[in-house]
Amino acid sequence: MTFLVPALLFALPLAALPVVIHLIHLYRRRQVKWAAMMFLRMAQRMNKGLSRLRQILILAFRVLAVAAILFVITRPMAGGLLGLTGGVPDTVIVLLDRSASMEQQNLATGTSKRSAGLAKLSQALRDTVGTRSKLVLIENAHLQPQALEKPESLTDLPITGPTDTSADVPALLQSALDYIATNQTGRTDVWVLSDLRQSDWDAGGGRWQALRSGFASLKGVRFHLLTYAQPAAQNLSIAVDRVTRRETAEKAELLLDVRVTRADSAKEPLELPLRFVVGDVSTTFKAEMKDSQLVLQAHAIPIAKTMKQGHGRVELPADAAPSDNVFHFVFAEPPVLRSVIVSDDEATFTPLQAALEAAADPTRKYACSVLPPSRAAEIAWDDTALIVWHAPLPKEGDLIAKQLANARCVLFLPPETPNTNAFAGLQWGTWNGDSKPATVSWWRNDAGLLANTRSGTALPLGDLEVQRRCDILGEGTPLARLGENQPLLMRANTTGENQIWFLGTLPGSGASTLARDGVVMFAMLHRALQDGSKGLGKAQQREAGVNALGAGEWKRRGEAVLSTELPLRAGIAESGEKLVALNRPLREDAPDFLGKTALGELFAGLDHQIIEDQVENESSLASEVWRTFLFLMAIALLGEALLCMPPKREVSRTTA
Amino acid sequence: MADSSRSFLDPAVLSRLMALPLNARQAMLGSVSGKHRSPVRGSSLEFAQYRKYVPGDDTRRLDWRTWGRSDRFYIKEFEADTNLRLCLLIDTSGSMSFTPAGSTTSRFDYAKKLAGTLGYLAAQQGDAVGLWSLAEKPVEIPAKRGASHLGLVLDQMGSIQPVGDTTLLTALHDAAERIRQRALVIVFSDLFVPPAELKSAIQHLRFRKHDVALFHLLDQQELDFDFDRPARFIDLEGGEALLADPCLIRRNYREAVKTYLHELDDLIRTTAIDYHRVKLSDKYDDVLVKFLLSRVQKKGGR
Repeated sequence: MTFLVPALLFALPLAALPVVIHLIHLYRRRQVKWAAMMFLRMAQRMNKGLSRLRQILILAFRVLAVAAILFVITRPMAGGLLGLTGGVPDTVIVLLDRSASMEQQNLATGTSKRSAGLAKLSQALRDTVGTRSKLVLIENAHLQPQALEKPESLTDLPITGPTDTSADVPALLQSALDYIATNQTGRTDVWVLSDLRQSDWDAGGGRWQALRSGFASLKGVRFHLLTYAQPAAQNLSIAVDRVTRRETAEKAELLLDVRVTRADSAKEPLELPLRFVVGDVSTTFKAEMKDSQLVLQAHAIPIAKTMKQGHGRVELPADAAPSDNVFHFVFAEPPVLRSVIVSDDEATFTPLQAALEAAADPTRKYACSVLPPSRAAEIAWDDTALIVWHAPLPKEGDLIAKQLANARCVLFLPPETPNTNAFAGLQWGTWNGDSKPATVSWWRNDAGLLANTRSGTALPLGDLEVQRRCDILGEGTPLARLGENQPLLMRANTTGENQIWFLGTLPGSGASTLARDGVVMFAMLHRALQDGSKGLGKAQQREAGVNALGAGEWKRRGEAVLSTELPLRAGIAESGEKLVALNRPLREDAPDFLGKTALGELFAGLDHQIIEDQVENESSLASEVWRTFLFLMAIALLGEALLCMPPKREVSRTTA
Repeated sequence: MADSSRSFLDPAVLSRLMALPLNARQAMLGSVSGKHRSPVRGSSLEFAQYRKYVPGDDTRRLDWRTWGRSDRFYIKEFEADTNLRLCLLIDTSGSMSFTPAGSTTSRFDYAKKLAGTLGYLAAQQGDAVGLWSLAEKPVEIPAKRGASHLGLVLDQMGSIQPVGDTTLLTALHDAAERIRQRALVIVFSDLFVPPAELKSAIQHLRFRKHDVALFHLLDQQELDFDFDRPARFIDLEGGEALLADPCLIRRNYREAVKTYLHELDDLIRTTAIDYHRVKLSDKYDDVLVKFLLSRVQKKGGR
């Protein structure tokens, strides 16, 4: 609890006035010379316990009443049930989740969870802390501590505005932990403003244990978790899975795979007007939603044949969560799926080249070139979707190593004489070969290069025979294993969007039957090629985020936003001929919230307080609570009056 | 009487009460002839009994008429009238200085009026009057006859001041020991002592064959404790002052008074003393009239 006029607290000893007055009255009372003390003493003895208790209670009530009125004039501020107790901290850190889901609105007022929470937090901090504490903001997009001059800045600054990003709450907390440890912030209040989306909090992640122990080692850190875990009623979200421009002799059209998801499990049919906007032309399509999800496969939108490149969006009618009502898309002529094989072993690169040049999609163009390792520098890094590297690993720090690290997708094959260099945490071991070919004992079939086909059919990995294999050393994610836990295919743990794989055998040269059987190798290479091609071309779909656009000068199509906020907001960004459609991460649509119990477990052992709020709740977090003290004073005075009330006068008199 | 130290005597009251005799409830052993019955036979005019002559009897007391009728010797006996020893015993404890609200007469003044008037009446009918009290300077005046002795008693009575802790019980036991012949002992007190202890003192007096009369002087406020505001009660006997809220303790106070009076009634019943509960608001001459009249009825009883 804090006070707007704390100086008046020095008057608190005045609460002892009733006791002082009582003592004075003791000595100033009317004196009666009395003879029958015998009876008086007997009566006093009979009444002693009750009388003393009554007297103490009367005094206590009077003291309470005076103290209450003193508190009233000091204008106490508290969050009522929130209990902003403990005085003014040295530092207040606000961890702001401004992910797309935080834009869920109160339909009556148009106030989002983010703005409601910020407004309340700003007011509470202004009223209770003011400028006496150092105020630091860390928001989910940049994860950079930002010092604020005053609490009102929370609602004014662009970095507290809406975004279409996702949040990583453990990363936010880690930033706060780093800031506290680095700056020695003293007594610190950490306010976390979030809507408790499970995807943002990653409650099952391994970082929480470290965070808990990290914060537990700090003294004077308190958490206030201001949560808005309120699902949007009857919310619909829209996403476009695929955009394809198809052109025939007669016409050109866009084929869109559109998915509309209903948050609740209601199944009553719903007529849904979908608005498609391509360029400046909009069309509305009424679709009937019969289940919890509506999928439009290859929904055709006619476009002009001259429109080779463009952008558009699909819109749903407005509801409580506006951020998932629009999905932007861009389209252009598909880029050439270019791949490069770096090898000087013809027996190896021939089957690889054949597979990479074979068209998996007849509408796309494929190109594969082979370069010896000495000419690896000639690779067109920006236009290449996949690099197959069958050469010794480059030395760390070399230019070629840096370029490989930035390449979209790289598949490393073991050279005949592996060196000891490591790349992305992995390196080659020694070659092994048994007389009996090894077979694949396990492979990951739910995702990755060796996943089952769309129809659910597994790749024929079981038929694969490996005569020679090279050990893969280091930490990575295995995708396939041979025999006794020997990795055959491993994905390196990379931090960026690029992907790096190590395959522990060769397609030919008597090493395996990959080239002979062909199916596994074809699928594997084309999936890698497809992954690498996502970043190619003039039109790209990306998730909003601080690194979504990369370097270059970008400007936004449509409404103008700050350049720093450009990669964080959904929309169309343009740089030269490149078009990028930025959208919210689809995991923001998942309507799963973290429960209070689960939240308590995440902060177990830490001084924390959960404040569950709702976007419709307009009461402030901290308010003047003088009414409470006034009420207390009234209760105290009433109690005192009741205790002081003389008993019913006895009519009968003792007769002598 | 005009002396201010004897202001407790009111001539008007004395003249009104002069017509009423002060009688003892039992036979007295006086030194001279008087108005009170004696346990021995005497030469008064009032016939008592006949008794057979035994050698050695005074032949002058033979009833010759009975001898003439019956030819037997009978002695004719008459009642002996003797005087009364009146011992006035006044409680001089501090509580006797209590003055009721709205009055100028303290309990002690009231007691002196009663005692002084009774002493005067007794002296006027030829009885001996003595005074006992345990004041700062203990007063012990044996009962004697004569106007000058009465003057001494009244002067002493006027000079006594009530002060200090209660000494009533000591005074009663002392009186029981020191008054040698049977006497009428009249006690004037507020009796703020435990009834059980008082009982033993009264029984001591009764054991010495004294006729005991007790004037219990109380004020109505002492019975009702009818105060409206909290006050500091100063003990007139010098004890610790008490802060009390009458509203809180009135019920218990009255309960204590009731219990006390009940125990006192038991004491009176068992000791057969002449008890008079007097309120300080009563007129003292009325109280004395009632007292004297109650004793007149007893006359002739044996």
